[in-house]
Amino acid sequence: MKRKVWYVGVLLASLFILACSSDAMDDGTQQDDGPVNVSFDRSAMLRNWADNIIIPAYTNFNTNFNAVVAANAAFKADVSVNNLVTLRNAWLNSYQDWQSISMFEIGPAEDNDLRLNINTYPTDVQAISEAIANGTYGFDLPSNRDTKGFPAMDYLLNGIAATDAEIIAVYQDTNSGQAHLDFLEAVVLDIQSRVSTVATAWTSGYRDTFVANDGASATASTDRLVNDVIFYYEKFLRAGKVGIPIGKFTGTAAPNTLEAYYSPKNSKVLLLASLDAFQDFFNGTHFQGSAKGESLASYLVALNSVKNGEELENLINAQLENARDSFESLGVFKEEIESSSASIADAYDQLQLVVPMLKVDMVSAMSIAVDFVDADGD
Amino acid sequence: MLKKIVPFACVIVGLTSCSLDDDGDDVIIDEIQIENPSSYTFERDGASTVSFSGQTTRLRMGDELLAAMMDDSSTLEELGAMYAHEEGAADFSDADLNASDKNLLTKTAASVDYFSTNSAEQIAIRADFNSWLQTQVEEVFPNWNTVATAGVAGQLADGASTRYVNAQGLEMNQVFNKSLIGALMVDQAINNYLSPDVLDAGDNPDNNGAGITEEGKNYTTMEHKWDEAYGYVFGQNADAANPNADLGADNFLNKYLGRVEGDADFAGIADDIFQAFKLGRAAIVAKQYTVRDQQAVIIQDKISTIIGVRAIYYLQQAKLELEKESPSYGTVFHDLSEGYGFIYSLQFTRDTSKEAPYFTKNQVDALLAQLLGDGDNGLWDVTPETLQDISETIANAFSFSLEAAAN
Repeated sequence: MKRKVWYVGVLLASLFILACSSDAMDDGTQQDDGPVNVSFDRSAMLRNWADNIIIPAYTNFNTNFNAVVAANAAFKADVSVNNLVTLRNAWLNSYQDWQSISMFEIGPAEDNDLRLNINTYPTDVQAISEAIANGTYGFDLPSNRDTKGFPAMDYLLNGIAATDAEIIAVYQDTNSGQAHLDFLEAVVLDIQSRVSTVATAWTSGYRDTFVANDGASATASTDRLVNDVIFYYEKFLRAGKVGIPIGKFTGTAAPNTLEAYYSPKNSKVLLLASLDAFQDFFNGTHFQGSAKGESLASYLVALNSVKNGEELENLINAQLENARDSFESLGVFKEEIESSSASIADAYDQLQLVVPMLKVDMVSAMSIAVDFVDADGD
Repeated sequence: MLKKIVPFACVIVGLTSCSLDDDGDDVIIDEIQIENPSSYTFERDGASTVSFSGQTTRLRMGDELLAAMMDDSSTLEELGAMYAHEEGAADFSDADLNASDKNLLTKTAASVDYFSTNSAEQIAIRADFNSWLQTQVEEVFPNWNTVATAGVAGQLADGASTRYVNAQGLEMNQVFNKSLIGALMVDQAINNYLSPDVLDAGDNPDNNGAGITEEGKNYTTMEHKWDEAYGYVFGQNADAANPNADLGADNFLNKYLGRVEGDADFAGIADDIFQAFKLGRAAIVAKQYTVRDQQAVIIQDKISTIIGVRAIYYLQQAKLELEKESPSYGTVFHDLSEGYGFIYSLQFTRDTSKEAPYFTKNQVDALLAQLLGDGDNGLWDVTPETLQDISETIANAFSFSLEAAAN
């Protein structure tokens, strides 16, 4: 009798979710309390991620970064305030573009430690000064990741002197100006070459590997990338951009650890860009488009995940929007922190509220094991 | 005969059932009461009798030496002098340490139980520590700004951290640090100061029985010896009387007591060790040496467990990373460098059923040779199978399982 009821249940369920595992019907070994298998096409989600989000984001980055390379060349040829401003604008554009690829630390990006090579902050000003003076940069050394990338450019374009005129003077100095220009150029080219390497790997083989690995094991693409983006959200977006600067983990505010510390108004711009990119990824929204494909959100819809009577995907989106609203209403992060504003701590809490929904509710609905723990140090 | 058994039985019941809780209930043995305080607080004439400043000093010397090993401008002479400090020499940044007549070298592999008649191994072990300093200065420092590759010393990325390895992939600072936990902190605590040969040496029982304190001190020698063992475990905790509030207060045994406490399979071990230290010390005050020695056995067991668990933990963590599609060698080598030191430390553990280490020096040397022996380039060539094999060998010697230790 019990078994009969179960079959009815499966039949009913199958009407709504199109399919259920044929294995469960045929082999007769499934227990009464076994899971109802939901059909969701992970492969379609992987294709959407790769073809409509990740690869377009890389392509866009490379295209726009050409403008940085060109602006840097113009600045190098003619050190002027105008050319500095042009280079700075191109840099900020690309820094925002970077927020759309930073979370995809998988495959070639992971192999190349891309994120740490491109965006380790705070940058080491003293080591940069030494590198400029010595003329040797060692950009392949792990210990020099805090002397390059976007944060080093932030310092070189915004923080190396107080005013634009004084910054120009640094690069025009008859003794050391050329050394500074050479270093800046090397930083620019290092970013270009590292991101290009990863982008090329995506379009020349890794895309197919990624999409083909469409299973549901710990090493499947979905499980891995979901882990990677949650890790990104928790450690880099939440902690790196806000938590550490406000002193959430130490009790001591550290505004010098802000992203874009040398151009403080940009910290907020970059955080919002990363939050947008994260939410677009969650919803499967095509890069710089409005069309949507299969995504974590649509996966949750298929799973009919409900928390406290509400659809989980709606809860996550609503909370991401709460967080965005909180940060949009803030002033310059550096000033908020230096004035011990409670608002930025409150905004942090809004970011944090998303974490358990992702890391507990979403992954358990999808049967994905979280493969990272809070850093053990050693 | 019966009279002897009865008090013994009382203690056993007291220890294994409910009479000893955090409030430090007193233990009653044959009309004699052991006043077991709720914290590690012992007084005579209103003044504390607890003292382990020498242990705290050595822990701090260790901290400075480890930091200097990571400064590539340190010379071998400087590092060697920090290890074998002489009173008054300006080896440290801390003037108190410079003024001290204590050092790390003379307490390395120096316990009464294991090394009083074992000079050959003592000399070999001290030579190992000196060789690690030498390798750091002569092999790793020159390649400080080189990317490490198989057979070439240099630096590797481990997540956001940078690791500096020798040609075999070993971090000398980690090897030195984790090996010192065994050779100094563990060996001194469990094989020296908790040993009846030390506690009961000379006139100690008579003096302790009569309440005769050391000249100019407020403690009997036996009390002090016990406290010195305590100091190697808890010497840098903020509140010496209630040390478990800030586990992980040093870079040595306390840190890893904290880590093992954090593993659900071993939760409670920190309190077990603390309670045993406290009751044992109270038993010395009450002159109840059977109880004292029972507590010593508990401490010896549990501290040995810490070493065994962490050795397996790092091997298994490294194995997980190594089995990935494109493993991060910086991460693998960092785990294995810590694991190397904990394996080295196994020779200082104590299987209390045998009054001997879980692994002899020869056995430890064989395990370490196995770890580095899969190819010409040491850790660069190590296989997951080898890591599993060593893990199983270690787990088989202890009473806990490999799985319990692995996470």
